[in-house]
Amino acid sequence: MLEVADRPLQTDESPTTRASTPISLNAINRWVPHDIVMRDSWFPVAHNYSVTGKPVRRAIYSHPIFLWREDGVVVASEFHPNERIARDKSVYTDVKGHYPTMEHYGVVWVWFGNPQAADPVHLPSLPFLPPKGGLPKHMTATVRFESSAPISLENLIDLTHADFLHADVVGDERSDSETVETFYDSETVTMVRTLVNKSVAPVMKFFSGIRQPTQNVRQVIRIYLRSHCAIAYGQFNPGDDVPLFHPCTPETRDRTRMEMVMNTSNAGLMFRHVMPKAGYKVSRQDSYMTSPQSPRYMRHTDRKDLHSKFDQAGQRYRMAMMELAERQEKGDFAYRDNVSADCSDIIGLRKELFQF
Amino acid sequence: MSLQKDVWWAVARSEEVTSDKPLSVDIGDQPIVLWRDNHGIARALEDRCPHRRAPLSLGCIRDNGLIQCGYHGWSYDGETGRLKEIPNMKDQQKFPPVYKATAFAVSEQAGFVRVCLDPKAEAPASASPHYKYSGTANVSLRHQEYLDALYDDPSLLIAIRAVHFTPYLMSELHEQGGRLVMERSCQWKTPHWPAHFVAEFPLTLLTSTDPVSGETELTLRDDQAKELLHAVLAPVPAARGVTAVRWRAELGERHAGIRGALLRGSNPLSVLSSIDGTKLRTTKPTVSLHGEDLRAELRGATHDSSQPPVDRTVAA
Repeated sequence: MLEVADRPLQTDESPTTRASTPISLNAINRWVPHDIVMRDSWFPVAHNYSVTGKPVRRAIYSHPIFLWREDGVVVASEFHPNERIARDKSVYTDVKGHYPTMEHYGVVWVWFGNPQAADPVHLPSLPFLPPKGGLPKHMTATVRFESSAPISLENLIDLTHADFLHADVVGDERSDSETVETFYDSETVTMVRTLVNKSVAPVMKFFSGIRQPTQNVRQVIRIYLRSHCAIAYGQFNPGDDVPLFHPCTPETRDRTRMEMVMNTSNAGLMFRHVMPKAGYKVSRQDSYMTSPQSPRYMRHTDRKDLHSKFDQAGQRYRMAMMELAERQEKGDFAYRDNVSADCSDIIGLRKELFQF
Repeated sequence: MSLQKDVWWAVARSEEVTSDKPLSVDIGDQPIVLWRDNHGIARALEDRCPHRRAPLSLGCIRDNGLIQCGYHGWSYDGETGRLKEIPNMKDQQKFPPVYKATAFAVSEQAGFVRVCLDPKAEAPASASPHYKYSGTANVSLRHQEYLDALYDDPSLLIAIRAVHFTPYLMSELHEQGGRLVMERSCQWKTPHWPAHFVAEFPLTLLTSTDPVSGETELTLRDDQAKELLHAVLAPVPAARGVTAVRWRAELGERHAGIRGALLRGSNPLSVLSSIDGTKLRTTKPTVSLHGEDLRAELRGATHDSSQPPVDRTVAA
């Protein structure tokens, strides 16, 4: 069930008002994302074109994953086929040391957790990507962050930094009005930010040919907590609809891999090709802050982070992650909400643009 | 490492602190950001935005003298550390007192910017003049080891133009006016008999060290008691066991002849950033053997042993 985050988050001292939530605001403001390890989830580990007959190496929480194809079918093993095996098999693979794996949305997914619990029904819904893949390569990229995956996702859901840190790409903070709404369930957090008459993103000015000084913007960030995947969907008027698949796969607890896919099929020729590449620039700008930030969240501190009204979604994300982590720590790995249900309506996807 | 909270550390040279770009320094594990506000006053805050812990030194200095975090644009006042502005907040720019970054006491004298981790500390009195030559070196030695090397063989750490340090002391390390003082015989570098064949040494290097901060005044004198060179060496314990050394120097009286002229060439003093590990390892502790004890004794006499709390998550 989707709930609206209407709890005030303006002060540090406010106690939590959600009876079923044992996580206090104080705890949220002192969270240690480095300690959060999620399991029983599908993690996106590679673009499907990256996996060929020759094994490639990936990891989830430092557990090795080797990917290759046998008769066209992806194999995900914790051992390299040529490896002289000198270590025990983990509990996350079958008797042959293979992880459950599947291909969907043009991405290779690996199930990390109890192999018996692997089920395609737990695959996140990404309705703007063709289920069988096939988007051109120029709409994809691989980016790495030297920070923990939750830090990278908190960065994503916190859109106020974008106006500041990425102003040269997405435009500055000037707008006539701004509203932020946050929705959540036990597996997802979704934020909708609506801006009226915002400065036009430079990247759109140059590559989409927008001549107006301002545009109305609706930005949606939807995070699938367990798999550390996110949707970042921007609707720009005048401008284009730009949905981005933004996974943050925790290869280690403080190194993150992003196999991103930006579906710019409906945009103009220039923008279609250039915008996905902006990910390289934006990610470097983010890393400039998140790389030194992340180690400061590796240990517990008594000092609480401060926050503003713009951090409501980020606070909700922290709380939801901590709740889920706490549940997993107690041995409860069940999904209480369905992550594969079509989320088009939640993110406000203009379906007519994304027919597959 | 634990540090006394009431010590004034020379963490920067005056010219390093500007209103153009924040400067990141550290005292032990405590990261600090320095800048000059719009009145030209040097300011010091913890190099950590209390919002999302990003280093403030990655941000910028605004025209109004506030430092602005580069991540979300929160702006802080340097004197109090109080949060003054959040972008997009429009007219709601009033924040509770808890919304602040940690501010440290700052004092600027004699070409050094000194910071004390105790924000209420009184600025130290300093009679040192502002010396012309200056530099900064980051040395991979811990603070005490740096002082030990300085006492045992200064050539491991510094070079004075045209001057050779001998191992012979004219005065062992002793307490004088609350400071650690010693005097080392020196020779000119020009051809001369080896030190052990020489009856009289033409130069001495007098060192006087603050037992707490390790800040050391160097005076090079000739055999006519002319003071040829003055310098201040300010070693500060920095992150990862590095000692950050800020120094300033000035030439004094002229020593007659070609040797004196050589000393007066450009940059009379060099402070080395890299240490010869082999030479360091094989340098037998002599002065430092009782120097550490003497320093601890003097330090205990002048300061209590209270340690500042250090947030290990910031040191990362």
